[in-house]
Amino acid sequence: MNPSIPPSTAEYGGDEVSAIVLDPGFSTTRAGFAGEDTPKSLIPTYYGKYTSEGQEKLIFSDDVFVTPRPGLSVHNPMGRDGIVEDWDMAEKVWEYSFTSRLTGPKPGNPFQNGLNDVVDGELPTEMEGVEIEEKPLADSPLLMSECGWNPTKAREKTIEIAMEKWGTPAFYLARNGVLAAFASGKASALVVDVGASSISVTPVHDGMILKRGVQHSPLGGDYISSQIRALFKINTPQPITITPHYLVYSKTAVDAGQPSQAKYKSIPPEKAPDASYRTLLEERTLSEFKECVVQVWPGPNKLSATSPSGSLNEEVAKSSPGRPFEFPDGYNQVFGLDRYRVVESLFDAKAAIPDSESPFPPPTQAQTVPELIKNALNGVDVDIRPHLLANVVVTGASSLLHGFTDRLNQELMQTYPGPRVRISAPGNTAERKFGSWIGGSILASLGTFHQMWISKKEYEEHGPTIVEKRCK
Amino acid sequence: MPPFKDEHILIIAPGSQVTLAQLGLPESFTPARFRFPTRMFPAEKKGEFEPYKIRERRPGGKPSNGTKAPKEDVEMKDAELSAPQGTNAAPKPENGPQEAKGEPADGQETNGETRQEVQEIFYEEDVTSDEGAIYPLENGRIADWQCFFALLTHVYNTLSPPFHTPIMLIAQPAWSARDREAITQFVFEKFKTPAFCMMDSALAVCYGYGTSTATVVDVGKGKVDVTAVTDFLVNEHGRGIALEGCGGDYMTDRLQELLRSKGFSREMCEQLKRSNITEILPVGTPLPGTAATARQNTNSAASASTGRPEKGSKDAVPGNSGDDTPTGPGGANGEEDDEGVLDVAAIVSGNTSEFLANREKEKAEKSSTKKSSTDQSGKPVRLPNSKKEKASFQFEEYVRLQSEKDVANVPGRYIRHTREIEVGVERFLSTTQKQKPGDRLSSNIFEDIATQIHHTILAVPDASKRSELWDSLVVVGNGSKIKGFTQALLNTITQKFVLSPSATIFTSEIPSNFSTPMPTGGTNTPAPGQSGPLYNTPGHGVNPLLVAATHSNNPASGNMPPGTPSMDPSMASHYRSTGHSQTPTSVKTLKPPEYFPEWKEHSNSNAPGTSGSAGLSNGPNAGPGGPGAPSGGHGMEEVVFLGAQVASKVVFVIDQGLSKGFMSRVEYNENGPSAIHEYAM
Repeated sequence: MNPSIPPSTAEYGGDEVSAIVLDPGFSTTRAGFAGEDTPKSLIPTYYGKYTSEGQEKLIFSDDVFVTPRPGLSVHNPMGRDGIVEDWDMAEKVWEYSFTSRLTGPKPGNPFQNGLNDVVDGELPTEMEGVEIEEKPLADSPLLMSECGWNPTKAREKTIEIAMEKWGTPAFYLARNGVLAAFASGKASALVVDVGASSISVTPVHDGMILKRGVQHSPLGGDYISSQIRALFKINTPQPITITPHYLVYSKTAVDAGQPSQAKYKSIPPEKAPDASYRTLLEERTLSEFKECVVQVWPGPNKLSATSPSGSLNEEVAKSSPGRPFEFPDGYNQVFGLDRYRVVESLFDAKAAIPDSESPFPPPTQAQTVPELIKNALNGVDVDIRPHLLANVVVTGASSLLHGFTDRLNQELMQTYPGPRVRISAPGNTAERKFGSWIGGSILASLGTFHQMWISKKEYEEHGPTIVEKRCK
Repeated sequence: MPPFKDEHILIIAPGSQVTLAQLGLPESFTPARFRFPTRMFPAEKKGEFEPYKIRERRPGGKPSNGTKAPKEDVEMKDAELSAPQGTNAAPKPENGPQEAKGEPADGQETNGETRQEVQEIFYEEDVTSDEGAIYPLENGRIADWQCFFALLTHVYNTLSPPFHTPIMLIAQPAWSARDREAITQFVFEKFKTPAFCMMDSALAVCYGYGTSTATVVDVGKGKVDVTAVTDFLVNEHGRGIALEGCGGDYMTDRLQELLRSKGFSREMCEQLKRSNITEILPVGTPLPGTAATARQNTNSAASASTGRPEKGSKDAVPGNSGDDTPTGPGGANGEEDDEGVLDVAAIVSGNTSEFLANREKEKAEKSSTKKSSTDQSGKPVRLPNSKKEKASFQFEEYVRLQSEKDVANVPGRYIRHTREIEVGVERFLSTTQKQKPGDRLSSNIFEDIATQIHHTILAVPDASKRSELWDSLVVVGNGSKIKGFTQALLNTITQKFVLSPSATIFTSEIPSNFSTPMPTGGTNTPAPGQSGPLYNTPGHGVNPLLVAATHSNNPASGNMPPGTPSMDPSMASHYRSTGHSQTPTSVKTLKPPEYFPEWKEHSNSNAPGTSGSAGLSNGPNAGPGGPGAPSGGHGMEEVVFLGAQVASKVVFVIDQGLSKGFMSRVEYNENGPSAIHEYAM
């Protein structure tokens, strides 16, 4: 190519637009373009609210964690059961999740974005008004996920927002269990999703959920946090209080188990953030604790039982090296047996650490993971049970707990000694965290999926009820 | 496609304040050859933009500001004075639609200029003010698309590359996917480029540093971006994008808040911040002059070193636009004022250079006599800046050549004027908390940045990389140029986040069956038996046992009860994959690369050439033709540009698109702008 010859004037004339996949969870909301391997946008579903100079301000995204603000309170539009409670705010949070990193606040006026030659005087003044009403998703189809027990009303509300508020040209609502199965390349699977607010077990057969078999319980990541808090209260040598980073000015190195000598910041009470903010930041520290310290007793048998060789499991656990953890105020300690105890109740309800102040009632045996799986299998046809057991898909960020899949494997082998049990859990952290999003990304980029979309026209014809008919 | 040549590569790196650009890669990479202020002025026609502020001049208009007269610094005179002799020969930008019709003088009109109907209208470039300027990038985000595209066009036209020029554009982290697509579309359709690469600024920094993993802290004008890059991959999740109110503007604001009572304007504070006397002292260092004894000492030292007679007033009050007593350097007030009155008629009549030279000479003589007198008064002890209670910096401003009577046909001319301004200990307080901290509860900007870094690194999914990320901090961006910034940031992190590996934990708790430590941690654990490189042991001199205990990635036997049935290998590997330890155990900055000599020279530039308001008037050749001579004085803060050059070389010349480093025109025509995401680096 000669540098002095102008290039051909052929220009791109197509209009390929990739769909947006939105996977709203209780703790985080994931959004990204279909066909990509991780969601580009990951924001907390929590949002902050505070009043500044008489105006109410909302904070979305990670900034909630980073900057403390006077009187800041933290809210979540989702209910603990995974169903939206505050629709107005859910809409805002979701909208933020794709406008912030993907689509931008609003598409520019095509006449003024510099891409089109505007002939003199051809710019009608009415264009200004049109631009303001431009909807954020006017040119992207949207695939959203939902939990398997989402009520009809909530589903209809979802399509209403997508179609009317966001103006998406095409929409589909998929069950996150199905999507997680797709992410592992399976059309039929038993999906065990360990999320922040709940654990769910979803039997999926040929890309459809088997509704009778869907089980869920509140023993998710937040429950584990409450167990850790309970542990801290009865901790020796002293009870531990978590002081989040924002309250610490500087910390000093202290020996293990020694009281902290940190310098704290003084925030005047009238400016102090709300208790909900502190709780959220404590959760940050707790999730670090979960990542670094907490471990699931790998089995075989319960932590309180004896191993096949006859030794007490607790004794074995005690003899394994402890893990140190340092809190934001500098207090540090090694956690030995306790780091197994905080998660044991996911498998053995009796092992729960009692805490009368916990927002979570003591778990029942039916809420534990093995029982959920058992109930889910009992709810489906006998013929497909072995097939499901051979395709157990583990997903959800809380399933990343050290040793979780090993224990699950042990439990399943004990309960179902006959059939072949096979757990598939991606080793890659991102694939585990974003299982249902990735499934959505795969689904929405399939050529054959195009006929599944609910188009704007169909929606206008049938109204929101179409979602029940089309998205099964 | 034929390979691209080094000299044909166009690199553009837009920032909120300055846009760096260069055509061609030099033999040894240099700092950006062109620095464009990132701002445009609305042109006469709505929707069009001019790179320079063009002002209409009407006879009878009073000079709006700068009643002080010029002094020695007349670098600009050739460019400025030669042009306006003829009528209507105002400096005219060479690009952009240029109809010389009566342009409403934005801003200036409101300044109380009396409007008069006149026969002749002159256009002049207004170098003194950037009033009315539109900054297309705000905190990295594109606030005004038209203006942004106009700026890109201006940069492109100024550098005027040949057709076969690949373009490398550095993307701001704040740009959304659709933003990137729109830019891609614009570049391909407007510039007809054969190849385009859009590279994330954090990644470019990594290329510049020659590292695959780093935590990039980019301190900009109004915001800070914190990005964790692992294995040349930008971690989008948890990335600190455009953390507002933490950039250079915060420091200027704070300085202004401190110094407003002393008559400092914003521009003064801006230049004070850029000057080398502004520092951030390590925590616990007493401010100089706080002790009564130190006071006298430093006082005299400071004043003597500037060669200025001690004044009665407590702090020097800098003359604000000449409305009160100016305290210029090297002269008592009276003389200064005298010098201020220039015989404009003499200049206009033609002999300007001669005239000015004469004045220079006179002044030089005066000051030299003065200097000798102070020198005799005794050699003061030279203290480091951080010990001095007061220090002065060179303040440069544009001053209008003033005429006593309004000379109708002479366009205003400006002269760069330098004077020294003395400041007290306020110069050490630029990052402290503002009196009105607004909506923040954090005590200073370092706390915000440190918290963001902590958050960002904790969000990296590959936990084994976190320790390395803490140990490879890269602080870039012109906001970080202020002396002591990086150190202060490191101190804050150490204070708040670095863990204290108290040795007692490990000695007492390591169980007896603890076998040989394997100091590798995390997911990337190599196959058992293969003792990998100790990449997780940062060189902070901790014994390996301790590290092993911290990382607690023991051989399986350590954790597993004896007699546990062995699991299949895939299980075993992922059983180990989730175990990792808390970070950071240490925090360090990366060493900048040394193999580009031009990049090594750090210097603090105080010239207004670096500021937005007067960026184009950097030298005699800074006429309408372009943004000045190659600028000096920009070091590793702009390493993003070095990275852009390295990446351009790799992507366009060496790799030639084999690994999809750039998007070619053919691919654009086939797949459209959204395909840029497959290439965007």
